[in-house]
Amino acid sequence: MKFKTVSLERVLWQMAAVSMALLFVVPLCWVLTNSLRPVGLPPPRTLEWFPQPIAWSNYAEIFRIVPLGRQIGNSLLVSTLGAVITLVTASWAGFALAQLPNRVRQLLVGLAVVLMMIPSTVVWLPRYIMFTSVGLIDSYAALIAPAVMGTKSLYTLMFYWTFRRVPLELFESARLDGAGAFLIWRRIALPLALPTALAVLLLTFNHYWSDFVDPLLFLKSERRYTLAVGLRMLQQMDITNWSLLLAAVVVMTAPVVLVYLVIQHFIRDDVGLSRLMKR
Amino acid sequence: MILVPGLLTVLLAFMEYDALSAPTWSGLQNFVTLFRREVFWIAVRNSLLFVGTAAPLQLLGALGLALLLHPQRLGVRQYRIAAYLPSVIPDVAYALIWLWIFNPLYGPLNKVLGWVGLPGPAWLVDADLALFALVFMACFRIGEGMLVLIAARQGMPPEYFQAAALDGGNRWQLFRYITLPLLAPWLLLLLIRDILLSAQSNFTSVYMMTEGGPGYATTMLPYLIYDEAFSHFRIGHAASLLLLMFVGIGALLWLLYKTVGGWGYADEV
Repeated sequence: MKFKTVSLERVLWQMAAVSMALLFVVPLCWVLTNSLRPVGLPPPRTLEWFPQPIAWSNYAEIFRIVPLGRQIGNSLLVSTLGAVITLVTASWAGFALAQLPNRVRQLLVGLAVVLMMIPSTVVWLPRYIMFTSVGLIDSYAALIAPAVMGTKSLYTLMFYWTFRRVPLELFESARLDGAGAFLIWRRIALPLALPTALAVLLLTFNHYWSDFVDPLLFLKSERRYTLAVGLRMLQQMDITNWSLLLAAVVVMTAPVVLVYLVIQHFIRDDVGLSRLMKR
Repeated sequence: MILVPGLLTVLLAFMEYDALSAPTWSGLQNFVTLFRREVFWIAVRNSLLFVGTAAPLQLLGALGLALLLHPQRLGVRQYRIAAYLPSVIPDVAYALIWLWIFNPLYGPLNKVLGWVGLPGPAWLVDADLALFALVFMACFRIGEGMLVLIAARQGMPPEYFQAAALDGGNRWQLFRYITLPLLAPWLLLLLIRDILLSAQSNFTSVYMMTEGGPGYATTMLPYLIYDEAFSHFRIGHAASLLLLMFVGIGALLWLLYKTVGGWGYADEV
């Protein structure tokens, strides 16, 4: 009898979980199927699950209307540079943070947490003025500039949490053997923090890939536009052509989702991910 | 990168600056002009309404998901991935997806409503519904909150629940007297985060989907700041707005702090 009630509860749970998951995923499947809907058909009367016929040509078409290829290239360049620079700066900062005396360290960690709380809207204007005055407007340097400071203080903290768990004696003995700070970072610290490094790399890649406001504010010439701004261009050109717009959405979203699934694969326990939020 | 720009904003708030000629000192004039403009008060009202509904709803959603998905069961990992998915989609793409979903003619949302037999409203074109529609789409991006709460829930010793169940506590009592108090500090932390994020994250969706309209129905402070600074080049005004928004968020968090009786809240548990 007891066995039966337990399994009934499990079945109910599975049903609840499945319907929840569907609620979150089905709209995305619609996006996918509707991006394959032939252009020029009247709006569907009912819910369409599979377009008839399937128009793969939509994906070729968007590359013709907007210089999507170039924009993807631009986005890739910005995201890759941003991610790599962030990896270096954030891990340096985290490495240094882990070895500071207690007092200073607590102060800096506190500051980093406060910085996490400051809304990004606040920096739009002053950054715009700063970049104008030093002539960085309409250059990728303006987009990647935050990477020099580790992009987000969160990434520095992630490295700090990782390095703190490494016994200090390990670094100490390397120093006694004559290794400099850079060598220790390169040969000992970074390899030990490989999962963190990978997570930060992928998270920053997504951050720069998805960034819309910065390119909108700081880029002026069309040939430098990133994919995010390209989507806006396409929207302004052809608001009613939903199939094409949705195809572009798929192109922009696919890499991010892929990267996210890779992170999922590497960070096996969700507890690890939640450390990101912990202060 | 953040502190210096912050100071610059404070200075600019008291200046007249159009990005072409040199800024001139104008004292409180910017604020006086702002307070006289109706659109400022509309934006404040809309922002408060948006934050006041979106932040609690996001928290509730995250709590619901966490309670559903915390046990280690078959497929739970896949369910969590599914629930997290909307949170990773780039803002621009997310805005376009929902612009399509809300479309009265082409969009799937009204198709579903029609299928169930409900009339499909015009959503973003309807001045009374547009803001609510933006809140609605924000409620699906709760993946991070869910993960934090799942981790917090899994960190609770199972003995508490076993002991209470032995004493005859039912499901609701277990939740009300064990889970909820233990989660309280996390919920507070997440609420603060949701308030901060929802106060400013609405820019991309407003910009892409409604441009503040219809009328001024979805004009919120971030969009107004952008409009002032980069469409009208009234940078001084925009800086004053920024300062006011910053102070406003601070005041909101202070109010929250007063309501729950201080950060020491967590220690009572």
